Amino acid sequence: MDSNNLLAAWPIVAPGVAGAVFGAGWWFWIDAVVCSAAAVPFLHYLPGFFASFAALMFNCVSREDIGDSYYSPYDDSEWRVKLWLFISYVVSFVSLAGAVGFLVQDALTDSGPSAWTGSAGVLQCVFVLVSGLIYWTCHSED
Amino acid sequence: MALSRSMRACLHSGRLALLAILVSGGIVLQVLACALYNNWWPMLTVLMYLLLPMPLIFFLGSDTSSMMSTGGDGWVNFTKFLTGASIVGSIAIPSILKHAGIIGWGALTMELSSFVVFGVAILWFLQMNGEDEYSGVF
Repeated sequence: MDSNNLLAAWPIVAPGVAGAVFGAGWWFWIDAVVCSAAAVPFLHYLPGFFASFAALMFNCVSREDIGDSYYSPYDDSEWRVKLWLFISYVVSFVSLAGAVGFLVQDALTDSGPSAWTGSAGVLQCVFVLVSGLIYWTCHSED
Repeated sequence: MALSRSMRACLHSGRLALLAILVSGGIVLQVLACALYNNWWPMLTVLMYLLLPMPLIFFLGSDTSSMMSTGGDGWVNFTKFLTGASIVGSIAIPSILKHAGIIGWGALTMELSSFVVFGVAILWFLQMNGEDEYSGVF
């Protein structure tokens, strides 16, 4: 399969790949929660939820809204889109940092969730955000 | 290889019959995975199987090209997203059940093979549909 063909087929399969990656992220987390010997406190669920929310947020923006091609001297609504994107970036990075923090905490203490729970949390965050990115590449391609 | 019209019709219905056998085989494997071990937890995977053919159900009847076109309106993309998620889910649910010790290796193998059988059936059905419309692109 040469790279040219692959590039042409990408917009067709990209939503499916995004769904698969998103599902993988959440199923890793569900596996960690189900197989965890200790009860997982609610706080540990938050990075995953916020990452999914951030992925949803930056998918609400289509690519042409922030492009330079669309310029009008009377239009000053560009800052709203950029603010929205900025907030979604902040939420995604904070959730990623939170997941890594929980991993470190789980690895260091013996009571509470195991290291697998922490790593599953990090994997979940990463996969969910990557899935959001993949979906974004496909829906604003013309 | 030039086939007469009646031969082609016969081959087509033969293929449809084989497809139906594949799908029922998949269902049998799924039910067996639960019944043989008297453990009905693997039936959760059926939830995922319901989501899997969604793009086909909603969009194949209307216009095949809309699924394969690059533009893709929002709903087609969303149903493809659901399909991707349910494919991973059908593999994930039996694996999680095995990891948690709720089912054994035999049930896991049967679940995964049922998924493979369904996948082959859907792919073959898509290919058959593509042939019918004489489109060279799949």
